[in-house]
Amino acid sequence: MKKIIITLTTALLITASLVICKNVFSCRIPIGNRGIKNAIDSGDLDVLFIGSSTFRSNLDIGILDKRFDGRDYILAYGGNQLAAVPVEYDEIAARSDNKYGIMVFELDPLMLTEDVKLSDSRIIFDLSWQGKLALWDQLARSQNTGFSVFWEYFVTSGFDDLATYPLTEPFYATRYEKGAKNEDTPSSGRDFLENEKFDISDAAINPVQEDAARLLIRKCRERGQRFVFLESPHYYRLSDDPVYKKYLEYYIGLLDEEGAGYILASDIDFDNKNPDFFEDMGHMSQKGRSAFTEKLIERLQ
Amino acid sequence: MVVFIDIITFMSLISLTFIIFMTVLLMLYYLVPEKAQWGVLLVFSLIFYMWAHPLNVVFIAASTVCTWVLMRQPTKIRWIMTLVINLAILVFFRYGVHFGLHDLIIPLGISFYTFMTLGYAHDCYSKKTDSEQNLLHYALFITYFPQITEGPIGTYRDMKERLITYHPFDLNNIKYGGYRIIKGLFKKLVIAGRLTYYVDTVFSSVSSYNGLTLIIAVFFYAVELYADFSGYMDIACGISQLLGIKLTENFMRPYFSRNIQEYWRRWHISLNEWFKEHLMLPAVTSNWNRSVSKVMYRIFPKAKKGTIRTIFPLIIVWIVTGIWHGAEAVYLCWGVYFAIVMLISFTTMNFFKNLKPKIGWNDKNIFIIIFQTVRTFVIVLLGEVMFRAHTMGDAFTVYKKIFTDTRINTASVSASLVPFGNGNQALASVILLIVFIGGLFTVELLKEIRTDAFTKHRYLYALIMLVCMALFGVMGQSNFMYQQF
Repeated sequence: MKKIIITLTTALLITASLVICKNVFSCRIPIGNRGIKNAIDSGDLDVLFIGSSTFRSNLDIGILDKRFDGRDYILAYGGNQLAAVPVEYDEIAARSDNKYGIMVFELDPLMLTEDVKLSDSRIIFDLSWQGKLALWDQLARSQNTGFSVFWEYFVTSGFDDLATYPLTEPFYATRYEKGAKNEDTPSSGRDFLENEKFDISDAAINPVQEDAARLLIRKCRERGQRFVFLESPHYYRLSDDPVYKKYLEYYIGLLDEEGAGYILASDIDFDNKNPDFFEDMGHMSQKGRSAFTEKLIERLQ
Repeated sequence: MVVFIDIITFMSLISLTFIIFMTVLLMLYYLVPEKAQWGVLLVFSLIFYMWAHPLNVVFIAASTVCTWVLMRQPTKIRWIMTLVINLAILVFFRYGVHFGLHDLIIPLGISFYTFMTLGYAHDCYSKKTDSEQNLLHYALFITYFPQITEGPIGTYRDMKERLITYHPFDLNNIKYGGYRIIKGLFKKLVIAGRLTYYVDTVFSSVSSYNGLTLIIAVFFYAVELYADFSGYMDIACGISQLLGIKLTENFMRPYFSRNIQEYWRRWHISLNEWFKEHLMLPAVTSNWNRSVSKVMYRIFPKAKKGTIRTIFPLIIVWIVTGIWHGAEAVYLCWGVYFAIVMLISFTTMNFFKNLKPKIGWNDKNIFIIIFQTVRTFVIVLLGEVMFRAHTMGDAFTVYKKIFTDTRINTASVSASLVPFGNGNQALASVILLIVFIGGLFTVELLKEIRTDAFTKHRYLYALIMLVCMALFGVMGQSNFMYQQF
């Protein structure tokens, strides 16, 4: 009996120690070419983009570097949610005294309708303990955070990366350049883009996401941070969808109400009907991202 | 009126409810007077069974009472009645969907308890066991909760004494039972749970993936099925051991078998034993088989009589095995596939036995052993494609792509990582899967070489498995794969 109790207690203690270490210290582990720590380590920047994989795929870091003399960075997570952006912004502000000329936040109308969820567990690795708790609060506001979600969030999430860090980190580092995608992605072709299925008919505003957008604007104002929201072009089949348009108008109304600046995809002279520019409905090919970034820079100037 | 019973909501062996259920049971089980112990087990087995829906118990009760009454004095006519009643209930639920009963949901463990019932009835009829005169003793055998959802399909002659006898509290049972449960949970949560997402993603749209991805998915499926099913058996055997009751073993490192016959002696042992005892042997000795064999012998006069007499029963057994898993074409074809493979193996056995000394083939040579093991594993994998595919069309697509669209280059390797989901975690998932699957196979290989391997330092292994489960386990799953059967 004694041995059984010792085994169980030891397992519990080892697990608890590893979990605590991960949750508190993982944000300090050096991460090459992406994520919050790398963004902070980049120092003062002229422009910091914060968004989802759309930003990562649709902005050409080489072109941005030329324009901003390398003082630029893209902080992106897969499916990064509006609800997470204020947490990420706070995290950067709390962990550094860096100055940012302008912050560019992603304006994706469909993000307003998303359920808050852990879309990219990588964020757990990058956030400090306080950041993790703040994001957990957002999750808890939006969904039933039962035991299994709690367990995934605080215990298992990030351990795959941590356990394989020496092998995976060098590989991942080659895939990114200052947060941007470093791969020459080809277009998926007209046939694919014209037939790719998407269904947004059931989309409905999630108040937690909407509140997060307002909170983000307020936080920027309080800190005197210049910022702008940017809508990245989608393939025309999605951006012409009435549901998409409806929520874009809603988003614009929200930003107008808060007096926040924004750049819409339609403000940029970019051909979103050209299949050569897209990998899927939201992510661009190398050709598309170069063309879009050139035009964006003109607009930002 | 059709009664709807939802097996999905049953009390999973990996749920908080079950932990509470088990704690209360263990306390009562070891505290009640000797004579009441099996009664406690019966009551808790019924609670477990009724948990999903109280009506769940109606069909199992009908089957149990009918079988018990009829088999108190077993005669041929009573045996046939038992067979018809039980098969009718099984066919109604399992295959009702093919007769337009689309909303019918299968009562928990019906395939397993029907086979246990028929096994008992056949044993009574063929005088292998005495008829049970106590209905409640018999009811406990049928409803015993660790084995009701996925087996093992125990025999009454083996289980009766174990279930009815008084089991005093023994710390060794808690120790070894607990270890077995941890082992099962590790297989389920850390290995099977991690593979599910990849396998499900690929098999939901097989035409979208290249040959390399499909080969990986088929391999992963074989490991997932084994880790899930044998993991369940470890948990069930462990739970039973906590109660002092030993269950029949269902797996014996099947992927290290050197031929297909050996594989089926080591995979789902209780089901295959059941078929051997209650279908194969009666079929081999039946009059119709003798008549058919005589005709066959005239056509193939050089063939051995024993071989000829086995051919038709073998085909029947495998077709029934396929249908037992489901009435869909994929299961039937899976049964036919293994019937053909077994038949080839069986009929050529003597030929190869005679040939081996002539060509200097040494079965003890390590390379020969590796060759035979890999060959058997590949044969099994090819069969598992049908077992997992949704339709035979999907299965043929998999076969076609595996043999015509498999190239190993950077593009195909990158494409094979896509079903892992988020690209940022794909490589980490691959590395961990290599470690865990490699670990599982290494442990089994060492056990295969030395049966006493891993019998010492169990506390250390338990500790490692517990920590791995907590940190790398995929939580939130409660269903096991063989539940659907």
